[in-house]
Amino acid sequence: MPEFPFLYQSYPRAIIHFDGDAFFAAVEQSIHPELKGKPVVTGKERGIIACASYEAKALGISRGLSLREAIRMCPGLKVLPSDYETYSLYSKRMFDIARRYTPMVEEYSIDEGFADLTGLRRLHHTSYEEIALRFQADIRAELDITVSVGLSLTKSLAKLGSKFRKPAGFTPIPGPDIRGFLAQIPLEKVWGFGPNTVALLTQYGLKTACDFTAHPEEWADRLMGKVGRELWGELRGSALYPVTTEEKSNYCSISKCKTFTAPSTDPEFVWAKLVRNVESAFIKVRRHKLRARQIAVMLRKQDFRQAGLELRLNRPVSVTRDVIPAVRDLFESLIERGAEYRATMVVLGKLESDGERQYDLFEDPVRIEKREALSEAVDAVNDRYGKHTLSLAPSLFLDRNRRTGRDDQPQRKSALLPGETRRQRLAIPRLFLNV
Amino acid sequence: MPRVMDVEGHVAKLRAFWRRERRLPGYGEMLGLFGYQSKNAVFGALRKLEDLGFLERKRGRVVALGRLTGTLRLLGAVQAGFPSPAEEELADILSLDEFLIRRPEATFMLTVQGDSMIAAGIVPGDMVLVEKGGTPKPNDIVVAQVDDEWTLKYYMKDRDGVRLDPANPKYKSIRPARSLVIGGIVKAVIRKYD
Repeated sequence: MPEFPFLYQSYPRAIIHFDGDAFFAAVEQSIHPELKGKPVVTGKERGIIACASYEAKALGISRGLSLREAIRMCPGLKVLPSDYETYSLYSKRMFDIARRYTPMVEEYSIDEGFADLTGLRRLHHTSYEEIALRFQADIRAELDITVSVGLSLTKSLAKLGSKFRKPAGFTPIPGPDIRGFLAQIPLEKVWGFGPNTVALLTQYGLKTACDFTAHPEEWADRLMGKVGRELWGELRGSALYPVTTEEKSNYCSISKCKTFTAPSTDPEFVWAKLVRNVESAFIKVRRHKLRARQIAVMLRKQDFRQAGLELRLNRPVSVTRDVIPAVRDLFESLIERGAEYRATMVVLGKLESDGERQYDLFEDPVRIEKREALSEAVDAVNDRYGKHTLSLAPSLFLDRNRRTGRDDQPQRKSALLPGETRRQRLAIPRLFLNV
Repeated sequence: MPRVMDVEGHVAKLRAFWRRERRLPGYGEMLGLFGYQSKNAVFGALRKLEDLGFLERKRGRVVALGRLTGTLRLLGAVQAGFPSPAEEELADILSLDEFLIRRPEATFMLTVQGDSMIAAGIVPGDMVLVEKGGTPKPNDIVVAQVDDEWTLKYYMKDRDGVRLDPANPKYKSIRPARSLVIGGIVKAVIRKYD
């Protein structure tokens, strides 16, 4: 059925979304060139696959699979511990390369981002497609990894584009092509449509993203409210979500989740891990000059079943020690003796600015301020001597379960350069080649 | 929960914008700058900044006051008097990083294990800075994969094509039979003594 395009203009606005292909595994192959073309996975320290290279994916190995299962499927699989420091260095470089072309770069996550190229054709003397391709070629030449790129009029469309052809794909979707492109996109691929929304839309007989945009705007609004209306517009080519270059500063919540290197049945160890997460979360809260009014705690068992509880605090808190008794209560009601645990998680919510202080009638401001002063002193010590140098006593139990396998550490940390320490290393990725 | 306006943060953002652009952002730009969802919020924030004496409204236009833009500042934050001579002299210097690394996004570090470049002053244990993505010229030291074998050699060209020369009489020159991949060009050698 021939249909009119939504837009006749190609790129009234030009936004790209770029997405690192199997990012963690690709970085590992880049710093260990002998692993190129071989099945590689990361996540050794957790016993679970964090990222699988395309060669491993071809063998049916995917994220979330247990290592034991993966090795059974592919005996020659190269399993590496995660090296987040190197991944972050690559990530930063990827965004720096994008900023060569435009200052309007949004760091969406460690391995994907948006860039607004609108109006840059004259500056670079070429088309938007060519700018996107040059950026992609720079990444490949300099970082030795690949990204997939989508180019279109809005963030939502660009993101669909980058997922459309992978790896190292490039999918331009100019205005006149939007409609035809959306006809190939099933609903669940759309950024912002969760399983519930997809189920709802399916009830109405919708199959593709194009079906969604074929309905009038009011319909989308009635069904899904503001989000529906915005997505409707985004998919039809009007950019409603801006590319935001700001570093994230207004958080809704701060969470810390750490999986143990080996699962544990020892409650004191699990408690120590939980306290460590609470400490890390509050360090972040204080760094951003915030306070939390809500705290949620979650324990995850080895079989991935999890239980959590949430607590409202009677005043906004920024001092770790102030919440520990309450967290202990939550922990006591959650923990099952004898069960095997693999991770703990803490979420601090209802965050507000540290700016103004208001005390309850029954509170003792002097005491609170003393505790805050102590907390500041602890932060100052840790800034100087390294995070968690000075920490709450339960951390003594962290050593109980420490598996001292050197192979669970990335090479960057096990083979330090002269002058590097366990805490600080050079801000440059290292190649590991026997030459 | 009433939102508390982050005055300090807003002022810092406006100052940064002013330094870059020498103008105030428009309402739409402030939306993104402050991370607000509605222009009404921007309006509220501006009113507060006006009350605090950072801005002024003149015939419907928002004008930045000296409190926001600061007065003329040339070199560093000098409270009074002339900038110190040292500060003036040090305006054009390179850090050791900048001196060693020309292209920061494309530069990697590699610890050398072999002795094939010993006569070029690269000994086992040395760290070399390797730049990716460039085209090597003759006499460059390169990290290369020759027929699946990684090696550190001088890159040379002659009538028969590419030749990789060691800087150690113990080893022979090699020529790629099947494939040659240039992993990067060595731009600096670092040796640290304790």
